[in-house]
Amino acid sequence: MSMSDRVGSAPKKRLKTLKAQAEEAQRTIDELRARDALKTQFLSNVSHDLRTPLAAIITHAEILRDGMLGDLNPKQRDSVSGIVSGGQQLIDMIDEILTYVRSASDQVTLTRTDFDITELVDQVRMLNQALAAKKHLTIERLNGDDLPPVYADRDKVKHVLGNLIGNAIKFTSDGGRVWIGFSRRGRDRDELVVEVGDNGRGIARDHYELVFREFAQVDASPSRPHHGTGLGLAIARNLVELHSGTIWVESELGKGSRFFFTLPLNPPRD
Amino acid sequence: MPTRILIVEDSPLVTDAFRVLFTAVGYEVDAATTVAEGIERAMSAPVDMMLLDLSLPDGNGLEILQELRKRGFLPRSTLAMTGHNDSASRRSCLEAGCADVLLKPVPIAELLRQIERHLA
Repeated sequence: MSMSDRVGSAPKKRLKTLKAQAEEAQRTIDELRARDALKTQFLSNVSHDLRTPLAAIITHAEILRDGMLGDLNPKQRDSVSGIVSGGQQLIDMIDEILTYVRSASDQVTLTRTDFDITELVDQVRMLNQALAAKKHLTIERLNGDDLPPVYADRDKVKHVLGNLIGNAIKFTSDGGRVWIGFSRRGRDRDELVVEVGDNGRGIARDHYELVFREFAQVDASPSRPHHGTGLGLAIARNLVELHSGTIWVESELGKGSRFFFTLPLNPPRD
Repeated sequence: MPTRILIVEDSPLVTDAFRVLFTAVGYEVDAATTVAEGIERAMSAPVDMMLLDLSLPDGNGLEILQELRKRGFLPRSTLAMTGHNDSASRRSCLEAGCADVLLKPVPIAELLRQIERHLA
């Protein structure tokens, strides 16, 4: 054995081991990615398959409720109405899961158009009016009449606004306030900041990050007063980030929360 | 002659629910579960309203419309029904000739209103 061989053999061996370890780690990562993709696909398929029989149940219940097969007495009608609204709530939750799965995977693409974001905000306010009225809440738009059009995916921005405003209503007690405001920032004021605020129960500083995590709810106990999939803010985050925007919250317990998200006003055109 | 409705939908559960509904309001109901069957049923007798599910086992429901147009057997009106109502799939339905796109489950009052409106 020559001198040079003896000197080189230990580092060479070490290099070989490292290489093997790196390959092993890469294999594990690939396997985990593949499994995660499989789980995502599974979740998407199951959600879709749950939707179909549920849609049939709701339709049958509506046929009965509306007396199309004969009159029901008031108690029967109330009971059947309960089937319809329970089914509808389930459909909404399944849709939320489907939206989350899509927003978290690579399948989602943005369809950007120029649109008036104040008009969109007013539309989402209208959609939430009934819910707010039940709790005697007001939903105001504070400003924004002079904003330029936004170039973004209108459906997805609508979803973000819907989730934020829906949450604000959910976590604000009777007689409270929900508001939407706009500001601009950045060197050329080319970033739009949208604020959805409320004077509801608020979020502790320790939970600022947690609320955007999927399936996370600050109170996850079965007896928690507010039910849901825990996906609303995770979806909002994914959809905002798809637009190269950011989302965050500022809040004080007992005083209220202010959720902010940004949208670039002049993103590169497709 | 009674209004003839063709339901193209791969779930028998959904078709059954619609069948109960449309029979109750006095429509004549026919049903198909695939693209091929949809084309065949639409050509067997004139259809007033076709309710079209988009994802069928042998293809996209819109293919039925294309084929019927080619063969000159278009229904008087067609309403597409889909599980997810994004603007891209909405546009392709309208371009293919659907009168409107409804999000499943369509509330029955809304469904009946839409059918009457598009057949008026």
